[in-house]
Amino acid sequence: MTQLSLVKGTLDMLVLKSLLTGPMHGFEITTWLEGRSDGTLEVEDSALYQALHRMEERGLIEAEWGVTGNNRRARYYRATSQGRAHLQAETKQWVRYTETVTRILTSPRTA
Amino acid sequence: MTNPDLRPGVRRLFRLALRRPAGAASDVDEEIRFHIEERTAQLIAGGLDPERARVEAERRFGDVNQARVQLRESAQHRDRSLRLREMLVSVWHDVRFAGRGLMRAPGFTTVAVICLALGIGANVAIFSVIDGVLLKPLPFARPSELVSVWPDGAVPPGIYDILTREQRSFSSLAGYEEGRQLSLTGAGEPRRVLVSITSANFFETLGVAPAIGRGFRPGDDAAGGERVIVLGHAFWESQFGGDPGVVGRAVQLDGGTRRIIGVMPPAFRFPSSQVALWAPVQAAAGTPDYWWSTYMRLVGRLASGTTAASAQVEAGVLLPRARASFPMRMPDGWGRDVAVTSLHEAVTGGSRQTLFLLVGAVGLVLLIACVNVATLYMARAAGRAREIAVRAALGGGRGRILRMLLTESTLLAVMGAVAGLALAAGALRVLVATLPAGTPRVDEIGMDWRVLAFTLLLTALSAAAFGVVPAWRATRRDLSESLRATGGAGGRAGRLRVASTLAMVQVALAVMLVSGAGLLIKSTWKLQHVNLGFRTAGTLTATLPLPSFPNDTAGRARVFHEAVLSTLGGTPGVQSVALVSALPFGDGIQNAAMAVEAHPTPPASAPPTPKLALVSEDYFRTLSIPILRGRALTRQDRDGATRVAMVDEQAARTLWPTEDAIGQRIKFVWNDDWFTVVGVVGNIRRDSLSSAPEPSVYLSMRQSPPRGMRLVVAAAGANSGVDSDVGGGVDADALAARIRGAVQGIDGTVPVDDVRPLADVVEGSASRSRFLTLLLSLFAAVAVTLGAVGIYGVVSAGVAQRSREIGVRMAIGATTAHVRRMVLGESLLISGAGAVVGLAGAIASARWLRSQLFGVDAVDPTVLGGVTLLLGIVAVLAAIAPARRASRVDPLVAMQSD
Repeated sequence: MTQLSLVKGTLDMLVLKSLLTGPMHGFEITTWLEGRSDGTLEVEDSALYQALHRMEERGLIEAEWGVTGNNRRARYYRATSQGRAHLQAETKQWVRYTETVTRILTSPRTA
Repeated sequence: MTNPDLRPGVRRLFRLALRRPAGAASDVDEEIRFHIEERTAQLIAGGLDPERARVEAERRFGDVNQARVQLRESAQHRDRSLRLREMLVSVWHDVRFAGRGLMRAPGFTTVAVICLALGIGANVAIFSVIDGVLLKPLPFARPSELVSVWPDGAVPPGIYDILTREQRSFSSLAGYEEGRQLSLTGAGEPRRVLVSITSANFFETLGVAPAIGRGFRPGDDAAGGERVIVLGHAFWESQFGGDPGVVGRAVQLDGGTRRIIGVMPPAFRFPSSQVALWAPVQAAAGTPDYWWSTYMRLVGRLASGTTAASAQVEAGVLLPRARASFPMRMPDGWGRDVAVTSLHEAVTGGSRQTLFLLVGAVGLVLLIACVNVATLYMARAAGRAREIAVRAALGGGRGRILRMLLTESTLLAVMGAVAGLALAAGALRVLVATLPAGTPRVDEIGMDWRVLAFTLLLTALSAAAFGVVPAWRATRRDLSESLRATGGAGGRAGRLRVASTLAMVQVALAVMLVSGAGLLIKSTWKLQHVNLGFRTAGTLTATLPLPSFPNDTAGRARVFHEAVLSTLGGTPGVQSVALVSALPFGDGIQNAAMAVEAHPTPPASAPPTPKLALVSEDYFRTLSIPILRGRALTRQDRDGATRVAMVDEQAARTLWPTEDAIGQRIKFVWNDDWFTVVGVVGNIRRDSLSSAPEPSVYLSMRQSPPRGMRLVVAAAGANSGVDSDVGGGVDADALAARIRGAVQGIDGTVPVDDVRPLADVVEGSASRSRFLTLLLSLFAAVAVTLGAVGIYGVVSAGVAQRSREIGVRMAIGATTAHVRRMVLGESLLISGAGAVVGLAGAIASARWLRSQLFGVDAVDPTVLGGVTLLLGIVAVLAAIAPARRASRVDPLVAMQSD
């Protein structure tokens, strides 16, 4: 299976989606993404952290230091209510957009 | 996985310490390290050996070193923006809280906002005027280089040419006339317009290019060349409807053809906004025009490396030396008083003192308003002491509570400022309309961003002034005492003491303002009762220029003047008519250097320079100026007859101290035509009401070259003593129409302008003192009102707090009258103490006012006594309501309360 590079702007949506299940630290988000896409999506780890900082600044997520299961300090992220609303709106738009593009691209060739 | 130990929202809710920037960087480092270790562990679990797992983990992260730098940056950016947002949220929270608090106390809020609006509004209005007139830079290129050369003098083209040739201080030196009235024809209705004659480099020196067409250039001033003019923007719009095609058109100025070559931009109004157009001087060297008819003021642009001081040294040498070039003999001292000052100072200098006096007065008003609001705050603090104590007990830090109170005072100040701005916008229109005649740069006055910035500054200062002390006191109070006490006496007495002191300060400030206003009112009253030496009631004046004949000849001008005098003399409603070259209190009064036959001026000393006026024979009768000795002028005193002169008493005494003036001879210094004195008339005031009469010499207009004159008409019945408008029941408008009609009938090309009662002309000279008096009285009235509110607030708060004591007193036999006297006494004590301090302040600051006063000493016992009396009355009035309330205290109720 070939690796897909991420379409611009979709990373935010995917991160918010992952955080719907509960607070996670950065590495958990990475593994969640890799697991959900069966390893098809390639996200450079540093890009993920950039996205987290950006979203925190916009108030979509909040972060706090916590302790992991094996007693290590890690920074946990959670979606704010604003972030959840943002995800909902963006998802709706994304679905409409991809449906339209897909319909056009896959329609039979009309001469 | 465990939950994070503290929810982020909780941190925000309790406003716990925010991270420092260094924290963000170490957070990033730790996060990266954690991530890579987790990934390595994951890969090892997948079967890789530890060494390779580590390399792979780092590869997947991206370039770790570069990423670290970027992530640190983005984390810091995030923290900064979060901190800013939290701050805004907390400020907004405070503002809403303060707003709710103010809404719960509508009475306090309304009074405080009104006080502040009055104080801030008055200051903003005055600042707008001062900014426009004094502070804004002149609208010229690099205005700081421009200087006025010899602000008190003017030079003819002959001298101007010598100066420009020899000077080294200026990169450019230009001349301009303040303006002369000329008749404009060939462009609609004939009009009198103010024309400034300038040197050809005038616009270039100031560095302003025309909006349309071109300015003057070298050669435009050549005698005999084409005569050109440049229009002012406002005149172009009013006379030519703003038609850009006007450039190239020809018009007639006093009968001579002039071609329009340009229009200046709207902001260019130099030397005054009354100037309609500019024309280059055109005088050939050696002609009389070159020395006599045009006198230009000088404006220079300093060359790089020169200063006003060094330019003054040079001008001080050049100008007196150039005096020798005059074809006539100029007084020895001519040009000695040359000075070089910044143009800005020369333009604004005259208004400076009046306006700065106003700044002082209006600043006092704001101070009083602030003290007043502070007093109100102290009273309000009584009700809030418990609220504040509760907050403090719940852990609100002192800084936090201080901030809360200051937010409230700032909000109050902003509300006051908004109301004040509206007030100022309204007041400014009235203010500009009442500005003294001749105030420079009136067109620059307006509300703009500079005024807004000033308002902002005032708002912050006011908020600090009335907010800080009460807030400080409120938070300093002992917590347990406030919580425990419901009616403890100690805190209240202290608060009342501070409030009384503040009220006293208010009274003191008000006293200073009221005494200033009182002195000015007395001075204005004295000015209005100055003996002018001539009659203004029932007298109308108008300008009467010479007609523009194709070839002006003295003979035809004399015929015109003769016709005007005889036609108007026979017009119904006219008692007497005369012509004069310059009205008392009007423009164009000249001094002439003269020689007295009996007392020759010793060499190297200045000749006498009496005021000079050319008059028709009925001038003295028309203005009711008494002829004391000798005879009046007659129609026979004309060309060809013996040249005669009239002098006033002052001139008779100073020019001929030892002999009778009648029969003595006098002449101008520059020629040898002797005039014989035939009569002595009474002194009159000429320049201003406040300066003493100067010696005057009157010559018969029939024995001098004809020129444009002022018409003076005394209405019939004007002697009846009715001192209104034109007086004597004569309709001023009807008379003015008759005058215009009569002159039009004689020559249709002569515009009769500026028709107004002589009383108006005289009044105009006192407009500055009237303006100042009006405004200061207004400020004083506001100050007294605010002061009364202050006294009332303190005394009634005292009554409310001491109702128990009053109840006890009444229970043990004090009468109603006794209680009332007690309350009244308190009010009188406050205002008495305030008056003493205020009077001392008024006497100390009187020297600022001295130059504005006429006939009144700066420390005038009547005025100061009157002020004290007024304040006593105010103190009694302010205490009436509280005293009534105190005397109605029911001892039973009072002692049960609390």
